[in-house]
Amino acid sequence: MSDAPRTDSAPASDSQRADEATGLSSKGLSAGSIGLLGATVIGISCIAPAYTLTASLGPTVAAVGTQMPGIFLVGFIPMLLVALGYRELNKAMPDSGTSFTWATRAFGPWIGWLGGWGLIVATVVVLSNLAGIAVDFLYLAIAQIAGDPAIADLASNVGINIATCLVFMVAACYISYRGMETTKAVQYVLVAFQLIVLVWFSVAAISLFSNGGAFDALAFSPEWFNPFALPSFSAFAAGVSLSIFIFWGWDVTLTMNEETKNPETTPGRAATLTVAIIFVLYILVAVASLMFAGIGTGELGLGNEDIQGNVFAALAGPVMGPFAILMSLAVLSSSAASLQSTFVGPARTMLAMGHYQAFPKRFAAISPRFKSPSFATIIAAVVAWGFYAVMRVLSTDVLTDTILTLGMMICFYYGVTALACVYYFRRVAFASVRNFFFKFLAPLVGGVILAVIFVTTLLDSMDPDYGSGSKIGETGLVFVLGVFLLASGVVLMFVMRAVNPAFFTGRTLRRGEGRE
Amino acid sequence: MSAPNYLIAYEATDRGREAIQLGIALARLTGAELRVCIVMPRQSVVPAKVSAGIADYQSLLQRQADEWLVLAEAQIPADIVATTHTVWAESTSEGLLRAAEGFDSDRIIVGAARAGLLGRFSIGSVANGLLHASPVPVALAPRGYRAPSRISRITCAIGTRPGWEALLDSMVAISENLDVDLRFITLVQVGTAPVVTAEDSQEHLATVLEYFSSRATFLGTPTTEVGEGDNIEDAVDAMDWRSDEIVFVGSSRLASPSRLFLGSTANRMLRTLPVPLIVVPNV
Repeated sequence: MSDAPRTDSAPASDSQRADEATGLSSKGLSAGSIGLLGATVIGISCIAPAYTLTASLGPTVAAVGTQMPGIFLVGFIPMLLVALGYRELNKAMPDSGTSFTWATRAFGPWIGWLGGWGLIVATVVVLSNLAGIAVDFLYLAIAQIAGDPAIADLASNVGINIATCLVFMVAACYISYRGMETTKAVQYVLVAFQLIVLVWFSVAAISLFSNGGAFDALAFSPEWFNPFALPSFSAFAAGVSLSIFIFWGWDVTLTMNEETKNPETTPGRAATLTVAIIFVLYILVAVASLMFAGIGTGELGLGNEDIQGNVFAALAGPVMGPFAILMSLAVLSSSAASLQSTFVGPARTMLAMGHYQAFPKRFAAISPRFKSPSFATIIAAVVAWGFYAVMRVLSTDVLTDTILTLGMMICFYYGVTALACVYYFRRVAFASVRNFFFKFLAPLVGGVILAVIFVTTLLDSMDPDYGSGSKIGETGLVFVLGVFLLASGVVLMFVMRAVNPAFFTGRTLRRGEGRE
Repeated sequence: MSAPNYLIAYEATDRGREAIQLGIALARLTGAELRVCIVMPRQSVVPAKVSAGIADYQSLLQRQADEWLVLAEAQIPADIVATTHTVWAESTSEGLLRAAEGFDSDRIIVGAARAGLLGRFSIGSVANGLLHASPVPVALAPRGYRAPSRISRITCAIGTRPGWEALLDSMVAISENLDVDLRFITLVQVGTAPVVTAEDSQEHLATVLEYFSSRATFLGTPTTEVGEGDNIEDAVDAMDWRSDEIVFVGSSRLASPSRLFLGSTANRMLRTLPVPLIVVPNV
């Protein structure tokens, strides 16, 4: 090819036109690339069912016993209602996209700040839980491959555990910092693998039950699906709070618009398909686990506090025999992939908060080389690891306690966002039937449910026997954690207000309201 | 006839600044316009439980890109015509190639040094990606490059293997009406079993000169030179180099037709030489 001047090259004044002709000026979303299957795979990836189930089955049984399948069904309702509100906010404010910006635009800086804080705290807690599960399954997988069960016990050595967790955190943080993403092909494989292994586990558990090989055979009863057969509202609230955790991530499919091939129908259908698959899977695994292991406190019982935080680590071997290694790999890959992708959310929220001067300016730094939120990503890793290390030392069952704390934090920031939706659209709520349901009733009911669950679980967690039974003084560890995390947010908010009032006086991000 | 345009692969780092410096030098030489492009990562849904707020992030990235481009513009003297652009793409090299196609650019200019702690000079991933895929010449700015007030010499490093005519055809076009020195060189490795001797090279250069002179409208007198050494690095070191020259090399024959690939000789030259290298694809 000649390097000589060409007669047909575009003059500088036409560069804008060239931009448009080549799509260079288009926004950075990969528009129109995802179909129904792809969107559903993303939805299931977000939820990460293998990880979610191993982390939540135990705590849920501890809270609601055999009513677990029923509570899973009921627990989806507040998630659905809130997600409908999310979708409206997403449509109305296309330039915003997190609890922080939405809540700030609706309620102003103070509640907006706390909404952002709630999201960051929830993510830090889930990062530490994900890493904890990954560490357990790493050593379990090595033990299974090497045929030496002693290796699996390394995970219970606090020093080794914290150090291994650091390795996972650094790796995940590095990948996010480099701006690398999990490719679609990898996502498909991970999702298919999780689904196959979980179904395998359930079928194996039920067949062991049928031929008398179950650990603590518990005959199936339709009564398990009745969420109202619970002894107390506290048990119900704890169950719903955990259910919010197990469906957490589902809302992402609903807000996935520009990227889908048909923005009008694909997100809704994908969200429906995702939740249908997840429902079937969760009910199947929950019922199979109950039938095989029972809810007692014996060695493999779901009520055993020693196995509650990570149920599959204990059950996969007895249920799946030599194929238990598949479960280890499924959970390990699911939690490691989730660990990496979960870094992105808090890093971007902190970046936005840094940009609007709600956080120190440094958080707004974008790496010139990788174009990722550099400082915010590193801070997320440091804080998540630090939180994990402290919890490892303080708690007798760090995984159970973090999951319970997490349920509370998700209720908090989802609740704030749902109510932000109601308030933002207050002037148009009664303009049409559609508005009334989606912009007012659904988020209002969802928000109120979450607020009630939040307050109830917070008060109940004061009991030192709540969760793993770890306590500080005579108060439950989960309560101390929840209050500490939220109160430190309030303190930091006032510090930030004193240091730099720009955000708090509405100079960087304005309030607004939805209009027709 | 409108001016040629060169696409600058910009990022707000030393690599990006070096690319701009080389762009300035080349624009002064040929009167080309510069298209300063920054490639930002195209976002897709992140499969995480926490919604990752693409919309917020998107607009913040756009703002950041705009700020960086303002800084880039400030580095370019007023006598050079330059435009700035943000390109959204999955990967940096993909975005640059798409932009070069869109602008019908005549060259892509990129900072070649690898960022990193190791310090040893090697080619960065973006430059490497471009070298494997670009249909237009890629100009590689070395670490710490500063544009000279004018480029005084163009050196064309030419091999004896088939395909050298393609590079010469480009040189004919490039050197048209330029007031610079022009030199053709070959590098000879005097190892244990030399494939090509210095005599062969002299002969080859004579052929090259004849080929060039019969076609070019170049005003000056081109010179020829053979560099000898135990290895390519020594051969490069043995020759004289000016701080205000640029070197043209052809891309390796390994490359598929009209795609670039940096051959091992050129790769080693780049490591040794502190001068810009322009890699021209085989036609």
